Order: sequence, then structure tokens, then C-alpha cells
Amino acid sequence: MAASRSTLFNGPGLPFRAILWVFGLITVVPFGLLLLTSIKSKPDLLKGAFVLPAYPHFENYVNAWVDGHFSTYFTNSVVVVLPVVVVSVVLGLLTGFAFAFLSFPLKRVIFIVLTIGMMVPTEAFIIPLYYEMLYLNLINTYWVLILTQIALSVPFSTLFMASAMQQLPAEVLEAAVLDGATRPQVLWRVIVPLLLPAVSTLSLFLFIWTWNEFLLPLILVNDDALRTLPIGMLFFQGKYTVNTPVLTAGAIIVIAPIVLVYLVFQRKFIEGLTAGASK
Amino acid sequence: MTTATTAAPPKRRRDPVSILDRSAGGNLLYVAPGLVVYALFVFLPILASVYISLTEWNGLAVPAFIGLKNYVELFADGRFYTSLGNNAQFIVFYCAVPLVIGICLAAIISTVKQRERLVLRTLFFLPYIMPTAVLGIIFQWLYNPAFGPFNQFLKAVGLKVIAIPWLGDFTWVLPAVGAVASWYFFGFCMVVFLTGMQRIDPQLFDAAKVDGARGWQSFWHITLPSLLPEIRVVLLLTIIASIKSFDLIFTMTRGGPGNATLVPNIYMYQLGFQLNRYGYAAAVAIIGAILVFVVNLAVHFGMRRLDRTGAK
Repeated sequence: MAASRSTLFNGPGLPFRAILWVFGLITVVPFGLLLLTSIKSKPDLLKGAFVLPAYPHFENYVNAWVDGHFSTYFTNSVVVVLPVVVVSVVLGLLTGFAFAFLSFPLKRVIFIVLTIGMMVPTEAFIIPLYYEMLYLNLINTYWVLILTQIALSVPFSTLFMASAMQQLPAEVLEAAVLDGATRPQVLWRVIVPLLLPAVSTLSLFLFIWTWNEFLLPLILVNDDALRTLPIGMLFFQGKYTVNTPVLTAGAIIVIAPIVLVYLVFQRKFIEGLTAGASK
Repeated sequence: MTTATTAAPPKRRRDPVSILDRSAGGNLLYVAPGLVVYALFVFLPILASVYISLTEWNGLAVPAFIGLKNYVELFADGRFYTSLGNNAQFIVFYCAVPLVIGICLAAIISTVKQRERLVLRTLFFLPYIMPTAVLGIIFQWLYNPAFGPFNQFLKAVGLKVIAIPWLGDFTWVLPAVGAVASWYFFGFCMVVFLTGMQRIDPQLFDAAKVDGARGWQSFWHITLPSLLPEIRVVLLLTIIASIKSFDLIFTMTRGGPGNATLVPNIYMYQLGFQLNRYGYAAAVAIIGAILVFVVNLAVHFGMRRLDRTGAK
């Protein structure tokens, strides 16, 4: 396959490959600088952005973690992300199951209502959402972050699981029903094991989206003890602009888990995303 | 990001009443939990937002219904037009630049060896998984006029004259922020196009080669037309992302200096959470949502026409 595609151009050619690697460089240089600066001391910084420090100053990470409250932000992010991913996947399985196999009143209308939620930007309803949460006394709680992000992910999880379930061979489900399996048994014992790849792809998306979410925690939480990593980073920057090494160490703490997850699952992630995009 | 429109709607089944179907009441039990959460925390606020946009509300008193007055005021509001104009310029950086770079890189990368291709693909895609808010903070530091690496680099290579305070310059702040968006999106575009290219029948290229087509000719006449579905998806996602842009601009410039990078969502934030004009802010938000719908429709129908003329 690679051989036949090489007919597109007559071989890659050095100039073309150079272009590729220049763009590759443009992509990683900001992250490289980030990593480099995070192990410098403040005097090192004055010697120039591209100069290596005499020895690595890992105390920047300790400073960010302890004094910069990144330990709190990190814990908060984990406390929010885990339930959001688990509950969203379960809800996606239930609602997706219904959309794939069951009939119920107003099915078309409910489908349209869900797609509206996927298109309308969060910014468009953040104001009423804020006041709703104020009324429910949920502002400045973990609940507000968890509930809103589960709600936001319902449409995507539903459509994602429904379209995965529709690709299952009907015979398998028929056989299960003929064997006397109840519907919950069909869903949890037959469908879910078959859909594990789809479930893990969805979990991956939800993990990254929730970890990166900015607007919801920015508006719905203003207690420093409840801030998630991106918001914590923003307020940390406001306080300590001058201390660049600690700031960059903090940035590394925010992105390290995502980069790790991405590098481990990158093939799954990219294929899942592009499979959805090209449908 | 959570609202990426990448999923296909469930296809209507040949056999709508499947063997798993039971009474409507029992079926609703499967829909109810997700739907209740969604209705309470997404759909209800959307409806409320539409209503609030028809009121005058400072967040404390009872909202006073004033009909379409907010919208009338909005259409005479110079700052709103500025924000729309800026958004139009941002579309170039969110959409056009990454699309062109992405398609060119995909064409080149499809010719290199498998292993090198995987490494590059992994690299190019990296920015797309990052939190844009944090990227904004990182690039604010990279662009810093006093100690930022970007200007240090320019000075080192003898381009001191253009080492300006990028994010403080009224002319250059928008391209400077836009460049970050292009950097964020081009790898994603490349990956989508690369997947599309793998669908193209290699025999087409061989035939074209026999007919004496040069590389760029087969790119223009075979690759590009075959990629129309992918181009549609990329256009849709990036244009919508530019209309929804908030995180990156908020963390880099807060819409400044002056109104130089003001976009509707930043304006909405200022109106609501800084000036307590919630009714007016909701009107801005609703216009933004309408714009997203219009773009969806425009790209959908525009590309369908292209599809037809392309298939002549």
C-alpha cells in the first residue's frame, strides 16, 4: 500500500521530508522549551531561553506542587474526571442502547434535542446554568463540576454508543434473547463485552475533554480549594508571573497526564477521532 | 471540545422494532437517566438563555421582559461588530491556514515510510489534545517581550527589528494569537486528510501516471476531489471552533489590547460577569449559537453543491 501511494510524488524527496520535519519541530519546540525552563533557576533564565542550566532544578516542581497548590488542583481534577468518565459511559450505554434497539415516544424529537446540545456552545448557556446552580446551592462544590460535565457529555456518548451498537451483528443479540437472557443481561453481558474497544475510546475522549475543561470550572467554582488544574494554572499565573520556572513546572504538571495517556493510546485515539470525523 | 460534532446520527434501522423492544414504559427507563441529567443542566439552561436574552437583568432583581430590545441594541453596537470582524479574521487562522498546511503535509507524509509517518503523525497531533487554556498561558510566556523565547530567538538570528511586544501590539496581536490556533489545528487537519487519502484507490494514481500526469497534477485532480468529505468535516469543526473560541484568547489577551482580539464570547463574558448585564450578554450568546447553526447549514449545503459539480 505504501509503495503504491508513493506514486503520488515520485518518491518523498529530501526537500519534502525537510518540510515535514520543520513542522514537526515547530510542534515540539514549545513543549521542549517548557520542559527546559521548568528545570532552570531564576538566574539561569537570564542567561537566555535556549541555554541549558548548570544542573536541573527539580525544586521548581516541588514549589509548584506545594506552594503553588498544584497538589490540590491535581487532586480536584482527578476527583472530577473519574466519576464524569464512568457515569457518562454508563449513561451513554443506556441511552445509546435505547436509541439503537428500542422504540419510545418522541424518539425523533429527543434525538434533535440532543444534537442541539452538541451544537450550542457552552458559553451560550453558562449564565442561566450559573444561576441554576446558585439556586440549587451547588456553586463551589465538586457536584457542580461533575454533574454539568456529565450532562454535557450525554449527547456525544449517546450517539457514539448508539452507532457502535448498530454495527453489532443482529444474530448475536437474537441468540442471546432466544437463550432467555433479559435485557439488562443482553446489555451488560453480551453488548458491553463486545463493545469494549468503543467504550475505551469514548472513555479516552471524555477523560481528555474533562481534564481540559476551562469555562465550567472558571465560572462555577471560585474557591481555590476546588479549582481544577487549568483554572488553578490561570490564577497561579496571575499571582506569580515573574516566577517563570515554577509556572512552567506547573504547566508540565497539567499536561503530563494527558501526554502520557496520549502516547500510550495514541493510535486508538487518532483512529477513534478520525473514524468519527470521516463518517 | 466536548461538543465536537464528529458522531454520525444513528441510522434508521431497517427493522425499527427489534427483538429487544418492549413496552414504552420499560424502554423509557433506559433513556430517562441520561435525558434527565441532560435536560436539567444543558437543555433547560439553553431555553432559559433564550428567555433571558429578552429581558433586562442585573443578576439580582427579577428579570424584566423587554422583548427584542437587547437584539436591537446589539445590532447598533460598535463593539459587537468589532468582535464579529475579529472573529472573521480569526477564521483565517483557525480554518484556512491549518486546512492548507494540513492537506499539503498529508500529501507529503503519505509518501514517507510507515515508521517515520507514525512518528510524525504522533507529533503533529500532539497540540490538539492539549488544554487550550493552558496553551494560552504557555504562549503568553513564549511571546513575552522582555524574556520570552520567541523574541530572544528573533534577536539571536538578527531580526531584532521585528522583535516587537506581539501581544501588546494592536496590529499584530490578532495574527499572533491566530498563529497559535493554526499551530493547534494543523496536525488535526493533517491526520483527518491522511485518513481520507488512504481511502483513495491507488490505481487512480497509477493510471494518471501512465497518462503522464505530474505529481501536483494528480494531487489537484485526484487527491483533492476525493478529499471533499474530509474537507467538509475540517471546515465545519474549525469554523465552529473559531466561533466558539474563548479559552485561548481569554488566557492570552482577555480580548485586548483595546478591542484588538475581542470576539463575541469574550464580549459576552465581559458583559455578563464583569458588567452584570446578563440579558444583553445572553443576546450575544444566542447570536453566537445561531451563527454556529448557520455555519453548519452553509457548509453542509455548500459542500453538497461542490460534490455535485465535482461529479459531473
